[in-house]
Amino acid sequence: MKTKTQTKKIILYIVMLAICVVTVGPFLYTLFIALKPATQGIYDGLLPANPTFANFVDAFYKTDFLRYLLNTVIVTGIAVPFNLLFSSMAGYALARMNFKGRSIVLTLIISTMTVPFQLYMAPLFQIAGELGLRNSYVGLAVLQVSTAFGIYFMRQAFLTVPKELEESAYLDGANRFQVWWKVAMPLVKPTLISLAIYTFTFTWGDYLWPLINTTESSMYTLSIALAQMSQNFDGGNLKLISAASILTTIPSLLIFIWLQKYFISGQTDGAVKG
Amino acid sequence: MSRHPFSKKSLTEAITPWLFLLPSIVILVTFLAIPIIEAFQWSFLDYKIIADTSEFVGFANFKEIFSDEMFWMAFVNTILYVAIVLPLNIFLPMILAVLVNQKIRAVGAFRVLYYLPVVTPIVVAALMWKMLYSQDGTVSNFFVKLGIIDSPMNFLTNTTTALIAVAFITVWKGLGYYMIMYLANLQSIPKQVYESASIDGANGIQQFFKITVPMMVPSMTLVSVLTIINGLKVFEEIALTTNGGPAGATTTLVMYIYDKFMNLDVSIASAAGLVLLLLAIIGSLIQMKLTSGREDDLKA
Repeated sequence: MKTKTQTKKIILYIVMLAICVVTVGPFLYTLFIALKPATQGIYDGLLPANPTFANFVDAFYKTDFLRYLLNTVIVTGIAVPFNLLFSSMAGYALARMNFKGRSIVLTLIISTMTVPFQLYMAPLFQIAGELGLRNSYVGLAVLQVSTAFGIYFMRQAFLTVPKELEESAYLDGANRFQVWWKVAMPLVKPTLISLAIYTFTFTWGDYLWPLINTTESSMYTLSIALAQMSQNFDGGNLKLISAASILTTIPSLLIFIWLQKYFISGQTDGAVKG
Repeated sequence: MSRHPFSKKSLTEAITPWLFLLPSIVILVTFLAIPIIEAFQWSFLDYKIIADTSEFVGFANFKEIFSDEMFWMAFVNTILYVAIVLPLNIFLPMILAVLVNQKIRAVGAFRVLYYLPVVTPIVVAALMWKMLYSQDGTVSNFFVKLGIIDSPMNFLTNTTTALIAVAFITVWKGLGYYMIMYLANLQSIPKQVYESASIDGANGIQQFFKITVPMMVPSMTLVSVLTIINGLKVFEEIALTTNGGPAGATTTLVMYIYDKFMNLDVSIASAAGLVLLLLAIIGSLIQMKLTSGREDDLKA
C-alpha cells in the first residue's frame, strides 16, 4: 500500500515538473541565449558553451537601456501611488457615503470596464496631444492614475470594513477624511497591495498606449524599446535582446516572489467581485 | 442605510463625497468618457484627423467595413482564435489547479512556477515565443524529433499554424491566472464529498470527472467568459510576432482597428471599434447572467 502511494507521488512530481518545462522553459531558453558568447550561434545548441555576461553588459552600453529603465520606473512610480490614492478615495465615497447620484456614478464606472481600449485610443491620442501629454511621463501614466477597475476594487474592499469601527471614530470627533485615512485605509491594506501589484504589472508591461503616445525614443519605456529593437529581429542582436528581455522581467519577478500571496488573493477577490 | 449618529444634511456633508470623487472623475471624464463619446461620434463622421475636418456620413463607415473583405477575415480570425484558446483555457488550468491542490511537498513552489508567465511583460513573452517558434527554434526541433513535422519550420510564417501558434502564447500566459481561479473553487468543495466517494470505491480519475468537474462549473463559466472577452481584444501577442501575417492569417479585429488607426482612418477604426464593443457587451451580459448568484460558490 505504501509503495503504491510512493509511486503515485513520484508520477505526480514528474508530471508537475514536465509542466514546469512549459511554463518556465521559455525563460530559461531566453536566458541561455542571452548567456551565449559571440562565437556561438543563437540556435547553436540549447546551452551556452562558455556562459558570458557580455550580452547583458552590451544591453546597458550599446542601447539606452538605463534611459528606458528610468522612464519605466518613473511612469510606474507615478501610476501606482496615484491610483491607490485616487481609486481608494473614490471607492470609499461610493462604498460609505450617501449622496444623490451615487448609483449612477457607480454604474457608469462599472460599465466603462467593458469598453475595449482600442475603441477610444484614437480620440485619446488626439486629446493627449491637445493637452501636451504626448512624449511625457504624465501622459504615459495618466491612464493608470485612476482606473475604473481600481475604484470598483477598492469600493468592494471598503464595503467589508465593519461600520462600528468607523462610527466609534466619529463619536471621538473624527471627520470623514480622518475616518477614511486613519480607520478605513489601514483595514483594506491587503487590497491596496493587490491594487498596487496590479497597477505595477500592468504599467510596467503596457504596450499599446506607450506605443502610440511616444514618438521620441528618449521617452520609450522598456516594452517599447524592446519591441523596437526586435524590429530587425533576425539580425545579430538577438542575444542582446534576450539579455534586455531578461533584465526587463526581473523587477516583475522580484515583486511577484516577494508579494505572491497578494497576487493570488487580489486575483480571487477580483474574480469573485468583478 | 444607517449613517453615523451625527449625520446632518449640511453643506459639507453634501460636498464631501464629491471631493473624494473629484480626482478620479476629472481623470475618467477626460481620458475615458470623452474619448469614448468621441469614438461614437467619429464612427458616424468622415473625420480627417490631420486637417481636423469632418462630415456627417451616417452609417457609411459601417457599410464600408461590412463590405471590406479584410474586416470579415479579421472577424473570422478573431472567432477562430477564441475557439482555439477557449477549450485550452478551460481544461489546462483546471488540471494545473488539481495538481497544485495536492497535499505534497513543494507544492507552493510549483504554484509560483506556473504563475510566472502571468507576470511576464507581454513584449518579453512575445519575443521569447518568437525565438522558440523560429525555424531553428526548440519547438520545431522537438516536433521534428517527435515526427509531427517532417522538416524544420517557422510556425509564425505558415498560414496554417500561425494563428494556433499565437493562440498558444495567450494560453501559456494565462495558465497561472486561471489556475488560481480554479484553485479557489476547488478548495471550496467539501472534503466529505471526496471521502464518501472513496468509500464507494471511486478512484482518482473517476472522482475528477464525477465530482471535481461538475463542482467546477462556476469557475469554468467565469474562465470561459473572461477568455472570450479578453480574446476579442487580442493584440500584443499578434502585433509583436506576426503583425497580422502571413497573408492576413492572424489579422484579428484589433489588428484591423490598429492598422486603420495607423493609416489615420480614424472613422473606420471607430466604427470597427464599436463592433468590437458590441461583441464585448454581449460577452459581459452573458457573464453577468451566468455568474449572478454564484458568488458564494466561488468563495474559498
